[in-house]
Amino acid sequence: MSKLERLVRELASSPEQWAHLVRHDADQRVYEELHRDDDVAIWLICWMDDHDTGYHDHDLSGGAVAVVAGTVAEDRLALGGPPVTRAFGAGEAFHFSAADIHRVRHTGHTPAVTIHAYSPPLWRMGAYEILEGGELRRHSLSYAEELRPMS
Amino acid sequence: MELAGEPPQPFDPHDHDPATRTGFDRVLIAPSSPLGIEWLPEAEELLEAFHAGVLSLGAPFELWAGLVLADPSPERVDALLDRGAVGLSLPASALSGPAGIEGLGPALERLAARGRPLFVHPGPAAGSPAWFPALTAYVAEMSTAWHAWAEWGRPAHPRLTVVFAMLAGLAPLHAERLAARGGPSHVVHDPLTFFDTSSYGPRAIDAMLRVVGVDRLLYGTDRPVVEPVPLALGDAAEHALVVANPERVL
Repeated sequence: MSKLERLVRELASSPEQWAHLVRHDADQRVYEELHRDDDVAIWLICWMDDHDTGYHDHDLSGGAVAVVAGTVAEDRLALGGPPVTRAFGAGEAFHFSAADIHRVRHTGHTPAVTIHAYSPPLWRMGAYEILEGGELRRHSLSYAEELRPMS
Repeated sequence: MELAGEPPQPFDPHDHDPATRTGFDRVLIAPSSPLGIEWLPEAEELLEAFHAGVLSLGAPFELWAGLVLADPSPERVDALLDRGAVGLSLPASALSGPAGIEGLGPALERLAARGRPLFVHPGPAAGSPAWFPALTAYVAEMSTAWHAWAEWGRPAHPRLTVVFAMLAGLAPLHAERLAARGGPSHVVHDPLTFFDTSSYGPRAIDAMLRVVGVDRLLYGTDRPVVEPVPLALGDAAEHALVVANPERVL
């Protein structure tokens, strides 16, 4: 288990640190920054109604996700075939490296709550657009596009 | 405009016409700290005239109040806030070390107790050409004030919201050096300290964003002296700097 995964699992088992921040919005994922230091940024994310990040990478940061309520699915982008998909329910966790390209989406009928740690703290990201012919385009984004959406 | 030690500055009233500066919900006006009037024997009268003038404008205009630095009493802070000032604006040189911060202690304590923010802006600096002090004295002064805040200000005033102009002279980018030298580098992540981006562009702002995070940056410009450049950081970052973060501070 990665250090980051251990970190999010530990935090997941301490709801007194984040339960008061849980709030769901049908229009978009809800984000709360729980902690930030030189080495790691930790976020609480609330999901519902098939919210979907789209394919992205985290540029220089690795990360880990612990699910504390509901279910999310992680799709790893694969060439020439369907994505590699894994679903994670409450009590489960997963991690990814800076080199991985994935998307995370809400699945199931109940809202989900997840805890994410990024190390070093997320700075820039790549968002992937898949054109009709299968060509990939990478758009370089500030992490705000993912974690601080417009409204 | 003619100031001691500086060449005359041509002044075009049109640049200051509110009709050409539309689209703002709130316009907060502070006395110009580079003029240095807070330190003058006549500070009381000059600041009072300025405060009364701004307060008489009405919405959307509001006041960042200056403070008579020879007598920075908490009663003055109360009186200014009672009259409607949103917070205090102080020259960075007033907060450059333990003596200045201690002298302003009761005033800052009162400001924090009333939940109002402090704006730290460069004070007087002479030199020619005009860009020279803006890149030397201003940067040094803001960097000094931020480091002094890290060492003496924040421990004494844990609840005060502080906004540093001009990205605090990029002082937080020195956090690794601050840590290496044994300083309080954790203050880089202080959630109540904010940084205005005036006269900086996408590269410096993105570098600061990497260190302090997007939630602590406030869009600023030095218009009409310096025309702003596009942020080029994306819609979400722009929304954070222009709308969401200023709303949290104010």
